Amino acid sequence: MTPHLACKDVSVRFFDSRFFTLKDVTLSIEKGEKVLFLGPSGCGKSTLLAALAGLIPGSIEAEITGEIVRPDRIGIMFQDPDAQFCMLTVGDEIAFSLENRCVPRNQMDSLIEKAMAQAGLSLPKDTPIATLSGGMKQRLALACLLALDADTLFFDEPTAQLDPQGRQEIFELLRSFSDSDVTMVFVEHVLDELIDWMDRVVLFDAGGRLIGEGTPEDVLSLYGKEMEEAGIWKPRLFPHTMEEICADPSHPLQTEWSSQLQRSKAKHTTSSLRTNEPVYTVHDLSISYGKKQVLTSINFSLHAGEWVAIVGKNGAGKSTLLKVLVGLEKWKQGDILFAGRSLKKWPTKALFEQVGFVFQNPELQFVTDRVYDEVAFGGKVRGWNETALHEKTIRLLQEFALEPFSEKHPFTLSQGQKRRLSVATMLLFDQKVLLLDEPTFGQDAGTCAQLLSRLQQRKEQGTSIIMVTHDMDLVDQYADRVLLLDNGTIQFDGTPYELFSSQLPLPGLIRPLPYEWERRIKDDARFGLVSYARESIR
Amino acid sequence: MTHDSGSFLTRVNPSVKLTAHLLIMMFLMTIGDPGTSALLWLLSLIIGVALGGWTWQYIKRRILPYLGFFVLVFWMLAAFGKGEAVLWQFAWFRITEEGVYHGLVIAFRMLGFVTYGLLFTSTTDTTQLVMSLIQQYKLSPKWGYGLMAGMRFIPLFESELKQMKAAHKIRGFHTQGKLKAFARYTLPLFAQGIRKAERVAVAMEARGFNGSRKRTYYHTPIVANLDYLYCTFLFLAVLVITFSSYLFGWFTWVWDS
Repeated sequence: MTPHLACKDVSVRFFDSRFFTLKDVTLSIEKGEKVLFLGPSGCGKSTLLAALAGLIPGSIEAEITGEIVRPDRIGIMFQDPDAQFCMLTVGDEIAFSLENRCVPRNQMDSLIEKAMAQAGLSLPKDTPIATLSGGMKQRLALACLLALDADTLFFDEPTAQLDPQGRQEIFELLRSFSDSDVTMVFVEHVLDELIDWMDRVVLFDAGGRLIGEGTPEDVLSLYGKEMEEAGIWKPRLFPHTMEEICADPSHPLQTEWSSQLQRSKAKHTTSSLRTNEPVYTVHDLSISYGKKQVLTSINFSLHAGEWVAIVGKNGAGKSTLLKVLVGLEKWKQGDILFAGRSLKKWPTKALFEQVGFVFQNPELQFVTDRVYDEVAFGGKVRGWNETALHEKTIRLLQEFALEPFSEKHPFTLSQGQKRRLSVATMLLFDQKVLLLDEPTFGQDAGTCAQLLSRLQQRKEQGTSIIMVTHDMDLVDQYADRVLLLDNGTIQFDGTPYELFSSQLPLPGLIRPLPYEWERRIKDDARFGLVSYARESIR
Repeated sequence: MTHDSGSFLTRVNPSVKLTAHLLIMMFLMTIGDPGTSALLWLLSLIIGVALGGWTWQYIKRRILPYLGFFVLVFWMLAAFGKGEAVLWQFAWFRITEEGVYHGLVIAFRMLGFVTYGLLFTSTTDTTQLVMSLIQQYKLSPKWGYGLMAGMRFIPLFESELKQMKAAHKIRGFHTQGKLKAFARYTLPLFAQGIRKAERVAVAMEARGFNGSRKRTYYHTPIVANLDYLYCTFLFLAVLVITFSSYLFGWFTWVWDS
C-alpha cells in the first residue's frame, strides 16, 4: 500500500548555497495523522514542509533529489499573515480558492459561508482584509485552505507573528480538527497547546538530518538534551498537566514554580527601595492621530538601572509609547523629561548618545554594508579617534559574539545574529537607556537567552531598559516593573509579581504558569476549606 | 477607490465605463475651442451629480482644488502666450486674444480630463475593475490577480519607509543630497518588496493558482442593457454639444485653430 504522504531519501539544496539544507530525509505520514517537525532555526524543517507540499521545485527554486508521494488536495498556511492574500475582502479571498478549483459560481456563496463558519470567522463577507487583526487573518487563511477542500494541511509557523491571545485562539481552532481525518503537518516554535495533541514529533538537527521521531512524550524525554543544546523551545507544561501538578505536592515543576514565585516576590519587596533620580519622567502625556486618541494621560518615570516592561494587546499603543520617548512621535499634551530636561529641548544627536532604540525588525535599521561598520557607525559620524573607536567596536562585537562575522553583510546574518547586532549598534556610546521593541520576537530559545543575559549585564552596570514584549515569562523573570497598556492608557504600573498575582484581567495576554498554578491551589484551598467546613457542620 | 456604492454609475460595467471615458478624453484632445471644451467639462460634472452620486461635499473636496490649477494654466498661457491682438499689456505681461483663447482651451481640457477620470475612479470598485478587465478585455488572470495582490503592498511600503526613516534618524545617518537618500531608502524597500512578493506568489500557487484562463469567477461583471444605455446617453450628449457649438459657430478642431 502506498502511504498517504511520504518522502524517501529527500535532499534539498538551494542554488546559492554550497550545503544541503536537507539531507537524506525519509519519512512516512499516514492519513489523518498530526505531525510536528521540530528543530533549531535554519535546520530545514520549513524546507521539508515545502518539499512535501510540492512547492519545491515548482514555486520555490531549488535542487531536490529523492522520491515524494503526496495526496492531491493540499493546503498550506504560512507564517506571515500579510503575505498570503491577494484580494481585498474576506469573501473574495476565500472565493479565490474556489475559483482556482473551478467551482461553479452558483455554489460559491454557500461554500464560502461554510468555510468561514468552520474557521470561526463571523464577519460580513465584504470586510476588508486590511482591517483584520493578525489572529483573524490566520483564521481567514485557514478558511481559504478549507475552501480548497484539502485533506492534508501544512502549517509553517502559523502563530509566529501573533500575540499570545491570537496564538491561543488559532491553536484552539486547529485543535478542533484533532479528531478529524485531516492530515496535519506543523512547523512551529511555540509548543504549548500544540504538542499535546500531536500524534508524532519529528526532530531534526542543525544539519537538516532527521535525528529522531516518536510520540511527543518520548521525544521530549529521549532527546531532551539534544533539544536543549540546539536551542529549541521546550513546552512549559507538557507532558505534565496542570491538574496533575496541582494534585502532586512533590511534583518537580511545583518546586520550580514556587521558587520562581519566591524570586518574583523578593524582587517585589525590594523594588520599593528605589529612590535615585528618575532618568525619564513622563507627565500627563497624550497623543492622537487626527481624531483618534492613541495614548491618553500617560504618567510614569524610569530610574537608573531599572528594567521596565510595557505589555498589552496588539494595538494598545505600546510601540507608540516607546517611540514618543525618543521623539519619533509628536505629542501635543503633557511633557516628557529626560535627565531633567524636556525632550523637546534635546538635540537629536545628543539624545541618541544617551538613548538607544532597537526596532522590531532589525533589517530596517542597518545603514552600512559590513557588521563592523554597523557597530562603528555612530563613532565615525562623530569623528572619534580611530584607535579608540576600533577598540570599542571590537569589544562590543565580542560582547555580542559577533566578532567572527565582522566582515559579513548585516543582511546575511541569521535572525539571532541580526538581533544581537541591532542591540550592539545601540551601545557604542554606553547609552544610559535602552528601548527595545519586542527584542525576542521570532528568536529560538538559545539566541533569546543569550540576548537577555547581555541585557541583564548591562542593566547591572546601570543601564535602564524599557522593553515592549508579549512574553510574560520574560517579564516575570527580568522586569523590575511592568506597565500594562490598554485603550491607550496605563492600566497598571507595578511589579510583575503584583500584576500577575492580582485578579486584574490581562487583555491579550496570558499569565505565566506559576501564577496560574498558584491561583489554582488557592482556589482549591478555598474549595477545600468550604468542604471541610461543611463536613464539620455535619 | 469607490466613493459611493449606490449610484447608477457604480452599476455600469467598469470596462465599458473606462472605454467610454477614454474615448471622450481623446475627443477632448481634438477640440480646439474653449466653448465646446467647457460644455464637455460641464457634462462630466452634471453626470457626476446626476448619475455618480457626487455631493457638494465631494465636489468641494475633489474638484474645487483643480480650479486653482485651472486658473494657473489659464494665466500661464494667457499672459505669456504668443499672439498679435493685444488686449492688455503691463510690465512683462502681454495678454493677447489668442493667448486667452488657447489658455481657456488647455485649461478646460485639463479640467475635463480630471473630471472624467474622477467620474471613473469614484464610481468603480478596484476588484470589479480587474475582474472586468480579465473577463471583458481578456486580460491574463496572471496579470489581473497579480495587480490585485500588488495593490495590497502600497500601504505596507508607506509604513516601512516611515520606519526606516526613523531608524536612520536614530543612527544619526545624514544622506548628502536627495538622490543618495533615494537610493538609500529604495534599495532596501525594493528588496523587502521582492521578498514579500515572492511569498505572496508562493502562497497563491500553493492555493492552486496557475495564471491560466481555466478558472471560474466569483465576480462576473457582464455587459448589459444598462451599459448600452449609459454609452448611448453619453455619446448622444457629446454629439448634441458638439453640434450645437457648431451651430453657434464656436466649433474648431485643434488642427484648425
